[in-house]
Amino acid sequence: MAATRRLQKELNDIRQSGLKSFRDIQVDESNILTWQGLIVPDNPPYNKGAFRIEINFPAEYPFKPPKISFKTKIYHPNIDEKGQVCLPIISAENWKPATKTDQVIQALVALVNDPEPEHPLRAELAEEFLKDRKKFTKNAEEFTKKHSEKRPTD
Amino acid sequence: MNSKSETDEASRGSEASSSNNSSTPSNSKNQPPVGLCAGSGSNNPHIMKRAAARQLIERYFYQLLDGCGNPNCDNKYCASSGEARNLTPNEAAAEAIKLFYKEARLCDTLPNKVPRTEASTCDSSASATCTNSNVKGKSSVESKQSDSASCSVSPADNKKDKPETSHNLTHEDKENVIYDNGSTLTEERIYELCDECLQTKNPEPLIRALGEAFTQPTILSKCFQRKIIERDSGNKGEKKSDKESEAMCSSSDPDKDVDSVMGPGLDVASCQRALQYLTKVPSEYYSSAFVIALTTLAENIEIDLRITKNLSMDDIVYCFVIAFEVPDLGCSDYLEIALPAMCHAAQHLSVKAQAKLARLWGQHCKESLRHILETIQQLITLRVISTNYSRTFQVQDDDSVTMATKLMKIVYYANMLAGVMEPSSLREEPVVIASQLDPLGDALDHLYPLSSIKSFKEAQQEDPLAIELDVNVLDVRKPYLPFEEFYNEPLSDTIEMDIDLANCKTEVANGRKFSFLKYPFVLTAATKSLGLYYENRIRMFSERRVSLLHAVVGAAPPMPFLRLKVRRSHLIDDALVELEMIAMERALDLKKQLVVEFEGEQGVDEGGVSKEFFQLVVEQIFNADYGMFTHRADSQTVWFNPTSFETEAQFTLIGIVLGLAIYNNIILAVNFPMVVYRKLMGRKGSFEDLADWNLTLYNGLKDMLNYTGSDLEEVYYQTFRICYTDVFGSNIFHDLKENGDDIFVTQDNKQEFVELYADFLLNKSVETQFKAFRRGFAMVTDESQLGTLFRPEEVEMLVCGSKNFDFNELEKSTEYDGGYTPDSQTIKDFWSIVHSLSLEDKRKLLQFTTGSDRVPVGGLSHLKLVIARNGPDCDRLPAAHTCFNVLLLPEYDSKEKLQDRLMKAISYSKGFGLL
Repeated sequence: MAATRRLQKELNDIRQSGLKSFRDIQVDESNILTWQGLIVPDNPPYNKGAFRIEINFPAEYPFKPPKISFKTKIYHPNIDEKGQVCLPIISAENWKPATKTDQVIQALVALVNDPEPEHPLRAELAEEFLKDRKKFTKNAEEFTKKHSEKRPTD
Repeated sequence: MNSKSETDEASRGSEASSSNNSSTPSNSKNQPPVGLCAGSGSNNPHIMKRAAARQLIERYFYQLLDGCGNPNCDNKYCASSGEARNLTPNEAAAEAIKLFYKEARLCDTLPNKVPRTEASTCDSSASATCTNSNVKGKSSVESKQSDSASCSVSPADNKKDKPETSHNLTHEDKENVIYDNGSTLTEERIYELCDECLQTKNPEPLIRALGEAFTQPTILSKCFQRKIIERDSGNKGEKKSDKESEAMCSSSDPDKDVDSVMGPGLDVASCQRALQYLTKVPSEYYSSAFVIALTTLAENIEIDLRITKNLSMDDIVYCFVIAFEVPDLGCSDYLEIALPAMCHAAQHLSVKAQAKLARLWGQHCKESLRHILETIQQLITLRVISTNYSRTFQVQDDDSVTMATKLMKIVYYANMLAGVMEPSSLREEPVVIASQLDPLGDALDHLYPLSSIKSFKEAQQEDPLAIELDVNVLDVRKPYLPFEEFYNEPLSDTIEMDIDLANCKTEVANGRKFSFLKYPFVLTAATKSLGLYYENRIRMFSERRVSLLHAVVGAAPPMPFLRLKVRRSHLIDDALVELEMIAMERALDLKKQLVVEFEGEQGVDEGGVSKEFFQLVVEQIFNADYGMFTHRADSQTVWFNPTSFETEAQFTLIGIVLGLAIYNNIILAVNFPMVVYRKLMGRKGSFEDLADWNLTLYNGLKDMLNYTGSDLEEVYYQTFRICYTDVFGSNIFHDLKENGDDIFVTQDNKQEFVELYADFLLNKSVETQFKAFRRGFAMVTDESQLGTLFRPEEVEMLVCGSKNFDFNELEKSTEYDGGYTPDSQTIKDFWSIVHSLSLEDKRKLLQFTTGSDRVPVGGLSHLKLVIARNGPDCDRLPAAHTCFNVLLLPEYDSKEKLQDRLMKAISYSKGFGLL
């Protein structure tokens, strides 16, 4: 299974670099095209928990972009109820094959930390975020406590 | 300066004589006056009359300016009599038209126009000796003497002058004349003349210079030469005369060849600049004279091409190149008089000359192509609209239209050459169908040739110009101008396709009738499909007739129809089994009219039943569950399933179905990517086809091609082993080369990688399936003109119909989010705006919201569009998540604002980002 040499290399690089915000990377050795991992955001209201994501690489990777979805429910204007996220860096129109997965993850973490209400997937959350930040923060915190996974301790 | 103006006279004299002698006064005088030169727009349909009128006016013109040549002339309208005022050419032109209306007296012309130079005293130059005036005539024909004494054409006239005078000249004199008289124009000379004209308000020198250069092909072809003139202007001597005469002969001149390494001897750019500069001079100063000059030029060229054949091919081609750079060519007088004459001359060009012209235009005059094309289109449109065609006078009989079309063909090929071409090595071998011929039918063909369909095969010869240029429309990835610009809609609407098809077929026999089907680029796809429809109907009827004759002769009559009997419950199986049998046993039957019968139903197939049959078949076959084709969500298209369990025969049958649909004029709801049609027409898929096949992948690969860093190997870490997902979702690896996994993609081999990758995806991986599919398609269509008439884009239109978007269906299926309901004012406004959009804008809206302008299989209702409220009224533009077909729409205050924002968004939606 050496065909996806690049993915293998990226995986090794990420594991070695020890990203603080992306932990617990699990890859099924029989299918290197699917990764799972924990997103660990720094900003409130999401800094109370960790969120599991799945990255699906297409067979044509890196010529086609990977897809990311949240396995953990999250109260966020840019991530919908099904866990879909619209991340410009991996959209079909913008994708650059030279982009490395760690850059994608960093972009994702940045989006989680700082929502982009101008371009929402959940319009009602975006409006709440803009109009009543307190309420939004409160809701999001509660939601995080209820649904998110435990943050790694180390 | 002296010698210059005299040679002016000489050339003018020869023009005058040519026009005088070639006109036929007895005929033309009786014609009603047609104000052609005055630009008053004639609606006389007969070109002959025009030509006669024009020639007559020309005669008046030259008579006023130059005189008839008789020293004892007593005609007050003749310069030779001394009674006519000294006129500028412009005044003379106006006067000539008046005289034409009055039918004033025309002098008989003397064949030998020597004394006419005396009248040239009206010019600024005072001295006029006949010795000098003949110098030019002599030298310009020096290299092509003949003893013919004919005076009907201008070169011959010059020859006539020659024997009297040549002995008076020293060698050096000749050189002086040639090089100092400026009869060949250069860029600088035009600037000079234009400036002078603007300063003095006297257009005469300019007109003379243009007139003499633009009437004589020998002179015009030497205008705007690369360097040669400057280089020679310094010293004069033996060398020059050599060079001059050689240059006249052909481009084989060794000196010239040195210059033409970079391109033609003609400096097109310089010519363009010069003629562009000319537009600074008010056109009324020179245009009428210029039109006459160009017309005469065209006549001279035509005479040379048809009769004298003195000019070299290069010279004539240069003349065309220069003449078509004239910026005013699309203006009224040029369009009505000069351009038809040019088209008329162009039809006599040999194939080689046409090819050369196409190459020159394609390589050096790209910027002018649009102008040339538009001018020709204008001419055709004008003619078609202003003429009433009847059953006895068809468009095909209208010379000015057909000749313009022929000239357009050269532009058409030039346009391909100017565009992006791909190597012809990517052409696929044609499919040869060994058709079992019906022996009795064969015999009957001899008795009754109309029933023969084999003549179509001969009719499919490739265009000789295409062969000469070795260009095939399939090689063109991107033409310089879009092919649609060659469509002429008024013409397409006017043509009677049945007549044209008849012409097309008789042309094979005697080569006389003109058929636009040989010039398919000018016809819109709708008109062409009408032609194809007639062709198919004729073939179907002739099939029926054959079977009737069979019956008469007493043989067992074959079925006149292709009859399919199927059970609704086992539609595909029945159809495939039956078609398979027919394909194996009597492939010819596939070309018969299809008649479908559903078992147990009484419907008689007059078209409706077979239409339903096709719909049902396509629906089932392309269903992903059937496994023959895969649906690719990101591009809304279907593709062959390389791991299909179905046999090759199944794919052949799909091909037959597709062919039958075209043949029986039925539109199918299939969504193949364009590359399928290109492959069907005989072209392998290449990297560029990936753009339509899978845009994301194409962009990714393109990105790698554009990556210039030397660390490509480390950044991409890609080997020649690639991976793809099959229909079952498992990943399959494939080595593009032997040991592909050990070969890394580097800057040096990235192009190879990309090409191999595309070749694998588009050709290799589906080779068996596609081959079978194409074979089936060819079984039905191999004898029709489909391949020669239509480009792949147009075949797609034949199969799928024009893309039309049913936005009502979309409105019904759309969901709302974020506070919108179907009753929100903004939503109501949105739909009323959308429904009023043009097709093009609807396409853009679709592209904007979903990232693809294709309609998903099953129609727009399958799109699952979501419109989400994106905050209250604000200045932001609408946005979209193409990943989930979500349109984000702020709740704008007014409909006007919504419309404005929406149009902005879809019109400038290239690119992506969070705003």
